[in-house]
Amino acid sequence: VTSATAAHEELHAGAAPPPHGWRRLLAPGWLRVPWMSALFFGIGLGITLLVRWAEGWHPIWDGQVITTVELTAVPFGFLAGIGGFDYWVRYAIGSPTRPEDHSGHGAYSWRDYFRINTDHKVIGVQYLVTTIFFFLAAGLTAMIMRAELARPGMQYVGNQVFNELFSVHAALMIFLFIIPAFAGLGNYVIPLMIGAPDMAFPRLNALSFWLLPVAGLIMLSSFIVPGFGCGWTGYAPLCSTHQELGAVFFNMGVQWAGASSIMTALNFLVTIITMRAPGMTFWRMPLLVWANFTTSLLVVIATPFIAGSQFMSMFDHIMHTNFFNYEAGGYVLGYQHIFWFYSHPAVYIMMLPGFGIASEVISTFARKPIFGYRLMALSLMAILVLGFSVWAHHMFVSGMAPWLRVPMMVTSVVIAVPTGIKVFSWLATLWEGKLNFSTPMLFALGFVSMFVIGGLSGIYLAAVPIDIHVSDTYFVVAHIHYVLFGGSLFTIFAGIYYWFPKMTGRMYDERLGKLHFWLTFIGFNATFFPMHYLGIQGMPRRVSDYAPRFADLNFFISIASFFLGASTLVFLYNMIVSWARGAPAPGNPWRAHTLEWQVSSPPPVFNFDEIPQVVGGPYEYGVPGARHAVFNGDRVVEEEEVKV
Amino acid sequence: VALRPLGTPAARAKNPFRKGFVTVVRSRRLLGGFSRLAIVRRGVLVRLVAVGLAAAAVASAVAYFVPWLPTPASKQADRIDFVFWFVTGISIAIFALVVAVILYSVARFRAGPDDDSDGAPIHGNTTLEIAWTAVPAVLVTAVAVVSAVALAQNEHLPKNHLQVNVLAQQFAWSFSYPKYKGLTVSALHLPLDETVELKMHSKDVIHSFWVPQFGQKQDLVPGITTRVVITPKRLGTYPVVCTELCGEGHALMRSEAIVMKPTAFAAWVKAQERAAASASQGPSGAGPGLAVFNSNGCSGCHTFKPAGSSATTGPDLDNLPAYARRAGKPLALFVRESIVDPNAYIEKGYQPNIMPSTFKSLPKQQLDALVQFLTGGKK
Repeated sequence: VTSATAAHEELHAGAAPPPHGWRRLLAPGWLRVPWMSALFFGIGLGITLLVRWAEGWHPIWDGQVITTVELTAVPFGFLAGIGGFDYWVRYAIGSPTRPEDHSGHGAYSWRDYFRINTDHKVIGVQYLVTTIFFFLAAGLTAMIMRAELARPGMQYVGNQVFNELFSVHAALMIFLFIIPAFAGLGNYVIPLMIGAPDMAFPRLNALSFWLLPVAGLIMLSSFIVPGFGCGWTGYAPLCSTHQELGAVFFNMGVQWAGASSIMTALNFLVTIITMRAPGMTFWRMPLLVWANFTTSLLVVIATPFIAGSQFMSMFDHIMHTNFFNYEAGGYVLGYQHIFWFYSHPAVYIMMLPGFGIASEVISTFARKPIFGYRLMALSLMAILVLGFSVWAHHMFVSGMAPWLRVPMMVTSVVIAVPTGIKVFSWLATLWEGKLNFSTPMLFALGFVSMFVIGGLSGIYLAAVPIDIHVSDTYFVVAHIHYVLFGGSLFTIFAGIYYWFPKMTGRMYDERLGKLHFWLTFIGFNATFFPMHYLGIQGMPRRVSDYAPRFADLNFFISIASFFLGASTLVFLYNMIVSWARGAPAPGNPWRAHTLEWQVSSPPPVFNFDEIPQVVGGPYEYGVPGARHAVFNGDRVVEEEEVKV
Repeated sequence: VALRPLGTPAARAKNPFRKGFVTVVRSRRLLGGFSRLAIVRRGVLVRLVAVGLAAAAVASAVAYFVPWLPTPASKQADRIDFVFWFVTGISIAIFALVVAVILYSVARFRAGPDDDSDGAPIHGNTTLEIAWTAVPAVLVTAVAVVSAVALAQNEHLPKNHLQVNVLAQQFAWSFSYPKYKGLTVSALHLPLDETVELKMHSKDVIHSFWVPQFGQKQDLVPGITTRVVITPKRLGTYPVVCTELCGEGHALMRSEAIVMKPTAFAAWVKAQERAAASASQGPSGAGPGLAVFNSNGCSGCHTFKPAGSSATTGPDLDNLPAYARRAGKPLALFVRESIVDPNAYIEKGYQPNIMPSTFKSLPKQQLDALVQFLTGGKK
């Protein structure tokens, strides 16, 4: 009997025996999913037909309306089937809730990752694996696009399919990869970092994970429907009234992904505010915790706006409302204002956790305290506040009120100041350090240098006259990829490599990790740097065809992008093989000070066998005798030493 | 360089977590006066500056030798280019600084293979932190000021200017000149050195008008009028590009902007007016048909000699009889069907769904006139 099985049996002592025979259909899990989904499908269909019949709306059988309703009903059926609502439903109808036997805690075989699970560590891994799946899917759409763009003229796909490719590429990368991948890393690490046994609301945590596959599959199905060819920005009226049903799949996909991210953010906020270990004051929190705290605030404040914009767009499409229909007095630019009021803060939702990861990694591998820790935390808060005042810089050429441009330009360039503070502080953290160039550190340094380029091209875009010239061109494509690929993705890679030993209990292959970094770094720059030039010279974005004079550079970019795509295979191979057969990882392979490294790899089911007492800052490298936290056992030892 | 935390080791051990762990430098040669700032020795500084200058040189070479900007063809583009180079100068300086510190650190502070020791416990430096908050703030303020001035100048509209109305629809442009009795054409013709105000409308979804060489761009939004100011300063023919995703044919929504000498422009206007007049008096009664052809933007996508259009997005309408033969339909019937239901027959080499299906709502009288004009009265 392995110790894991023993722990499992100990935890489950006294739990009800697993159901047998047909009763297994009633137990939460994959057997309940099909019939629950069918049941909810029927309920959705029934209500729709009944309402249409009662109101006398013809035709009573309207495929568009039914599909839209089912995009809400069937996911609820799926979530109910998998067991996302069991506890609450039992509680609400007065049935005895299952005793807290923690049967939903911990993973003892690979099957446990495919069940509803309330352990934040399991959920974190579920998040990461799911988001990497969507990352690969979205990357594949990019490969098809680059194949089409390798030569001028049309070769492989039609115009509409091309439009759908880049729309789904961005939608998946943003809503199903970057945002939830950070949520997944945070999910795993944050409770450990603050010395908590789990997240504040484990059941809500599980539910917010299971919304993700729902959202992702809905977005992917927009290819089949088809018709989501209006870009991830979904501008009205193109998306609201000039697209086929696929656009509704985007609208609803965003709702599910958005609901997931709001619930996770609330969970993070409550966890960070209420569940810190004794002594873990706000000024002793690791910067990743600060970053997730700030990000969560952004999410809960901003995400309802994109939800609103997508509902309005969908209502225009399906219910013939006139929010953005100018012929009936609707306000076309209203969509953009509401959309960007979310989607600009969303840029920081996709970046601040990366800042946090970079701080952890750079401090640990430079063996130095973070330079200007308090200013680092305060600059996050500054970005949070300023982030809500810059949305209209996406709209300098949109035809909005002209006076709005200069104030928005000023706030947009000012937000570069707190961002600059962070970059300079990382650089100063390197200074006089003892730099270890493990894979996480390489990705963190790659992030700093690439993000500087992305930040500087951001200044170009904030300056109104330049923006007027390069807006909606490949310059913007280059900028967004330097920020989201060079920024977010590099830090996600840094984070995955950094915490891989903690999560899996095994070390990854360092040589393959470094190879992955260099291939990615070179492929990334070769792919995206020339796009600046294309954009300034006159190539608009989101086109399936282009002027022949851009042919050579586009061919080069396509080749480079295939190289970049192939570099991901090295990452996958390393992750899969190391997870299965890597060398066992010690508890603290990086000699880091933060709490997650003070427990075994992987950590015990409830993280800490005893609650740590935090006594100092998280990055006191090089300070003689400095401790971030002490455990009871340590104190006993120290006292004994004193006695001796 | 020797860095030493303040206080005795005993005091540090007592309370190692107090904030503001100030450091001083023990170095034989401090940078004159700024002892608090001086966390680097002069020798280090010299090497750092050398790496920075090398990085700046490389970045400047990339900026200088690559012809980044299209040759400006308007006065507005000149100002945009100025702002561009202003921001580029600042960017190169910052980029060089960052690269220098990273490269220097990577080379100089690399830990040895078995070196498990920690770096210097430097927690911060208030002077330095204030400096890298204040200096970027000043720089970005300068960018904002320069940009605001350039923007105001670029949007200045003198009393004497030409007005052109721009109409965009999926997926074509049309330009009309109120000054010349509403003369409507599919390519933008502009006289040299005369400021022009484009007043822009869209029929269906959002489009965006951009001529890279003019530097100016503006969305065309259904329901509102947007405007953009251009003062052409170089003769030539430039692409008009739609830069806002507007549907399936977005990549094909192109036209031309032609900058002509004022005399040539006047002659062109005369010729167009004469052609319109003769067409309306012609025996075939092309007049109303031509007007429908132009006002619906047909000339934005199709070549058709009688209308003087030469766009190549859609099939060449001079070959309509040949298309009708291939479709196996009588000419007039085929033309009418192709207008109201464009996907009914797709000529080889072209794609379905590019031509909007909105023309089925044309009034019958206009449709008749258009068919008459396109077929030249033939059946």
